[in-house]
Amino acid sequence: MYRRIILLATRNRSGISPIAEHSINITNQQETKRTSVSTCPNRQRMHYNKGVCAPNNRPFSTSTALSKENEESSAPKTGVTEAKVKEEEPRKSGKENLLDLLSAMKVGVTTKKKFQALKSQKSKEQPRVHPESMESATSMFQKATTEQQAQKESLSPELVAAASAVASSMPFKKSQTESELLQQLRKHESDTEVHKKGETNNIGNIIADMKVGKHPNARSPNRPANQIRFDDDGRGYTHDRGVVNEFDAVRRRKSLFTGKRLNIFPSTTDTTETEPKEVSVPSLWDIELAGQIAAVIKHLPRNGFEEMIQWTKDGKLWQYPINNEAGLEEESDVPFHEHVFLDSHLEDFPKQGPVRHFMELVINGLSKNPYLTVKQKMEHIEWFREYFQQKEEVLKESEAY
Amino acid sequence: MAALMLSRVVKSGFEFLQTSFRTTSLAQRCTTGNVEQVRGYYVNWRMLRDVKRRQMAFEYANDRLRMNAIRKNTILPKELQEIADKEIAAFPRDSCPVRIRNRCVMTSRPRGVKRRWRLSRIVFRHLADHNQMSGIQRAMW
Repeated sequence: MYRRIILLATRNRSGISPIAEHSINITNQQETKRTSVSTCPNRQRMHYNKGVCAPNNRPFSTSTALSKENEESSAPKTGVTEAKVKEEEPRKSGKENLLDLLSAMKVGVTTKKKFQALKSQKSKEQPRVHPESMESATSMFQKATTEQQAQKESLSPELVAAASAVASSMPFKKSQTESELLQQLRKHESDTEVHKKGETNNIGNIIADMKVGKHPNARSPNRPANQIRFDDDGRGYTHDRGVVNEFDAVRRRKSLFTGKRLNIFPSTTDTTETEPKEVSVPSLWDIELAGQIAAVIKHLPRNGFEEMIQWTKDGKLWQYPINNEAGLEEESDVPFHEHVFLDSHLEDFPKQGPVRHFMELVINGLSKNPYLTVKQKMEHIEWFREYFQQKEEVLKESEAY
Repeated sequence: MAALMLSRVVKSGFEFLQTSFRTTSLAQRCTTGNVEQVRGYYVNWRMLRDVKRRQMAFEYANDRLRMNAIRKNTILPKELQEIADKEIAAFPRDSCPVRIRNRCVMTSRPRGVKRRWRLSRIVFRHLADHNQMSGIQRAMW
């Protein structure tokens, strides 16, 4: 359902062959699970014949267009096109570098647009409508659209500029690709925000583009039982249908807070009761006093639960539900391009030679590593810088510096 | 006040003791604030040495990784790699992770240790038979 844009980065520095095929997938992990039409890039490159359709259902793809894309994408592989060679990268900030890199990349698009458009149209034509939940669904969608528009400003302007640069470098349908790229970025940001805050209330943003799933009506077997039927014992009462049907609507609601407001009680406005007190830096005496009070109050744990609470406070026990990023809250604020585009840190190294080659491999590996913080990556690079500066003489003897 | 100062002195002394012997810190405070020394021991000196090796391997892990990246390379010149060989050999011997042995946590037994529970087979069997291991049941099929 969503695009998979494979960016082939070819950086030709004279004398050194293209080092890495850098593939960045800007899809979310959720979406990759949902792609019903998943195209494997290797398979893509094999389809050179114009008449052959893949066994994958592609009713709307134009195979000529695909073959053109294949030729385009295979050309930089052979290293023939040197039209977009950058010899020197002048000292720029990371984000300007990002722009440069993106404009220098070759882009190969590998999905079917018309099929997707059809699918999205179909999904929007079939909303499941329940009479009770009609209001909430429409209001939810309205909220979703307004929030989505409001979210446009949350993307940083550099990212927007980069997206427009990429779209302008693509061969066809620039406005559509740009909008889709921006959508991807927005989704990425919203997902990270949701993940950070742990909110599940504002899922309107996320579900705005999702397919409306068909709601299997579990109550339908009860409907024929609506009719009066006589019990076998002859007592004359029907099955307990009345109770079932009355609470049907209530049961269908998944949470307590959906549904129409009755406006019986006035909504409480929480005034700012606690004025912000002036908190100065606590002195050592204050700390000592607090520690003493805590020591007096704290009793030895009476049971296993209190023991586990104490251990969790000490940090000996993990916090449940397990958070995979327990110690790394600050790291989620770091934008993704600082992890991936580390080229700007290579300024102090020589521009040619085996040292540069080595460092580019190091940076390639670091950019693919999701487990390190940006600080740790920087430390690695700095260590190498110092090391090579110390060993300058040895390197000059072997003509490597 | 005096009690506070005393407890602080005792606490600092205990910390020094800890760093020299590297025992587990189980010092607890009673209601008056005096430190009750609850000693923790490692099972034997071999376990202690293994602990030291693990700590040192953690310290030197990054350096070793970078040096090995320079050594195991076909790009950099060989003279540099030879120098890197000598440098990595100059690191303390306990800093290499190969020297770490996964001992049993309870008995410090070096062999027959299951990695998931960090226990030797004997201790594991003892605990499992007394129903202390969650989800472990005698196999029967």
